[in-house]
Amino acid sequence: MDSASVAISRPAPWRDSLSRSLRGGLKGGEYTWAVAFVVPYLAVFVTFVAYPVVYGLWMGSDPSLYPQLFADPVYQDTVVNTVLYLALGVNVKMFLALLLSGFFMRPGWWMKTLLLLFVLPWAVPQISAFISIHWMLNGEWGFLNNALYSLFHIEGPFWLNERWSALGAVIVSHIWKWTPFWTLILLAGRMAIPLEIRDTARVDGATGVRGFVHITFPLLANLYLISTLLSTIFLLGDFNAVYFVSGGGPADSTHVLATIGIRDAFDLAQPRLGVAAVMSALPLVIPLVIVLMRKLRTTEVQI
Amino acid sequence: MAHLTRRSVLGGSLALGATRVLGFPHVAKAAATTASMWFAQGFVKDEDVSLRKAVADYEKASGNKIELSIIPFAPERQKIISAITSGVVPDLLDNNPIEILQIYAWQDKWHDVSDVVEAQKGQYSDTALQSVRAYNAVTKKHGIYGVPVRAAIVPCHIWRPLVEKAGFKITDLPKTWDAHFDFFKRVQDNLRKQGERKVYGIGFQVTANGVDPYNLFMAFLVAYGGRDIVTPDGKVHLDNPQVKEAAIKAAAYLGGAYRDGYVPPSAINWNDADDNNAFHAKLMVMDVDGTLSTEVALKEKHPEQYYQDIVTEGFGYPNDNAGKPVPNIVGFTSCMIPKGAKNVAVAKEFLKFFSQPKVVGEFVELGLGRWLPVMPELAKSPFWQNPKDPHLKGYVQRGLLDPTLPDPLVFNPAMAEVRNQHVWSLAMIDVAREGVKPEAAIDKAFKRIGEMFAKYPVT
Repeated sequence: MDSASVAISRPAPWRDSLSRSLRGGLKGGEYTWAVAFVVPYLAVFVTFVAYPVVYGLWMGSDPSLYPQLFADPVYQDTVVNTVLYLALGVNVKMFLALLLSGFFMRPGWWMKTLLLLFVLPWAVPQISAFISIHWMLNGEWGFLNNALYSLFHIEGPFWLNERWSALGAVIVSHIWKWTPFWTLILLAGRMAIPLEIRDTARVDGATGVRGFVHITFPLLANLYLISTLLSTIFLLGDFNAVYFVSGGGPADSTHVLATIGIRDAFDLAQPRLGVAAVMSALPLVIPLVIVLMRKLRTTEVQI
Repeated sequence: MAHLTRRSVLGGSLALGATRVLGFPHVAKAAATTASMWFAQGFVKDEDVSLRKAVADYEKASGNKIELSIIPFAPERQKIISAITSGVVPDLLDNNPIEILQIYAWQDKWHDVSDVVEAQKGQYSDTALQSVRAYNAVTKKHGIYGVPVRAAIVPCHIWRPLVEKAGFKITDLPKTWDAHFDFFKRVQDNLRKQGERKVYGIGFQVTANGVDPYNLFMAFLVAYGGRDIVTPDGKVHLDNPQVKEAAIKAAAYLGGAYRDGYVPPSAINWNDADDNNAFHAKLMVMDVDGTLSTEVALKEKHPEQYYQDIVTEGFGYPNDNAGKPVPNIVGFTSCMIPKGAKNVAVAKEFLKFFSQPKVVGEFVELGLGRWLPVMPELAKSPFWQNPKDPHLKGYVQRGLLDPTLPDPLVFNPAMAEVRNQHVWSLAMIDVAREGVKPEAAIDKAFKRIGEMFAKYPVT
């Protein structure tokens, strides 16, 4: 073999560099072990994350599904309901959680006891809780109307018989169920604010509302925003509150995208249409996820 | 302690793989004699026990194995639709909901089971045979895609004590359609005079939820002369004046009863179980609900209610307004074999066993008679003719021996869309709450029905 052929058969320097880069600086057996450990994770990721997402995208990829979906009068009401559910359900809940997290910062054993009671709605299984609410709101024999009649001789309304009161019942149920959880998250955020900052601010006269506006809220703002974004994403996929409180009724008037997806997929036996209904939320979900990811990278807080 | 090396790990993995491959023929051999089956869970435990017994009897007789999964009603429906969509199917399943037989026959998703049904063809009622025949839009032919195993009609369930409290007797019940239902309005009026604040006369499911409102509307449609809305050739007849008039009358009566305060207000948003709960709570004097589940649920714990208090007078319905009997619409549970099933041979063999009169008859009887048999000969058994039972004899007479009709969705799956998109419900609700005239409500409904049938042309 002459020297020219040896020069030709040697790998180019950039290939060496690429190979090293791909191997993360690992050599020989180390690299094999690394691959062996990564493969199970990759398999799980592909099977349980990538495949379902791609399959869902494929199921909802037929453009002819969307005119059919948009022409459904139930879908049109559903979009309005979803927007209201998100706007009221998320913001009222998060605002209440913000206020309550401040309340629960107060010292004392009775506050801890109260907090324990307060988190109960979050701790109870949600399906049984929502079914109980459905029964409580029954117009004829439900607890609420019977209590109104027994105590005040008032004939209560049929809460689940009208679109807006039924949707209102769903939103209130959601807020009741999830406010404790987000209160705990914000409470943890408040507790993480160093005592020195609060003491210093107090010395400077930033107490009460001023302390909240200038110290607490700026320090909580990122957490609040991230919590709100997460809550919005969770709520978009929420099925249980609507399904078990109002059942999507009366006359299919209180569906949200998650429940109409199930209705189309299984009640109408048209799974692709059901997926399309859920996919129609993507224009909202994708920007939310992008903003969320960006916010999660933010580490600095400005006071 | 053994030292773990790359070589030992790879060697071990290879050995495991080899074991799997070498062991496979044994698994395959077992699979050849095993079929998987999904079936909806019963309303009472006895229904599941009766199915398990039929399966055990087959296994004993054949040496084959049936892997039976009894699944609650709603999850099974979702599981079936997911399975058919993904192609990963069991060998046998029931038609839960009933329309999947026709919907997926249209898409060529079932194996034809004519040979199984043929073995007992002379035994089945005509309605049963019609209900398992469906159109395949791929082959452009009709086929037999299910084996009927049980049936149900929609009886009226009446609280005798409430009727008597209102000053009437059960024997006062009129025998013709409108008069029969009007009777319960008078019962309610009398009960209200006695201070019963929250008891209603009639439990019509004027809701857009579940299958009850569709069944209710269809019964009224047939009683008012609209039975030809869909003919066995799969064609819809919305331009038939008799059909339209019947639909208008049905919407007017059902919506009107709600509007006039004779139906519990919450009925507008009842789910499938709410009417049962409301009836058991004596919120209404009469309920219209499929199968004898209302009675059977009480038989063990409250036998006095089963034997004395609840009356199923007329079983289903009274005569029409002209005094002629109204045929009951019968819904059938059938078993199907999906395409993609791994063991069609065992599945068919099991169905041949299961569809024998003795086996399928016992299956229905052990389920306490919630469901009807599918073969008229079985109605003669002492179980169904028991003179001490106040419900069974009449139930089997009206649902099996008297003239009956299949649900029109068996002629065209478009009618399943009518049912599942609650077209009739919306017409009833329009009349009941929105002040819409019945004619306008039915015009709107017929327009939607026309659009649905346009998607399912039977050639």
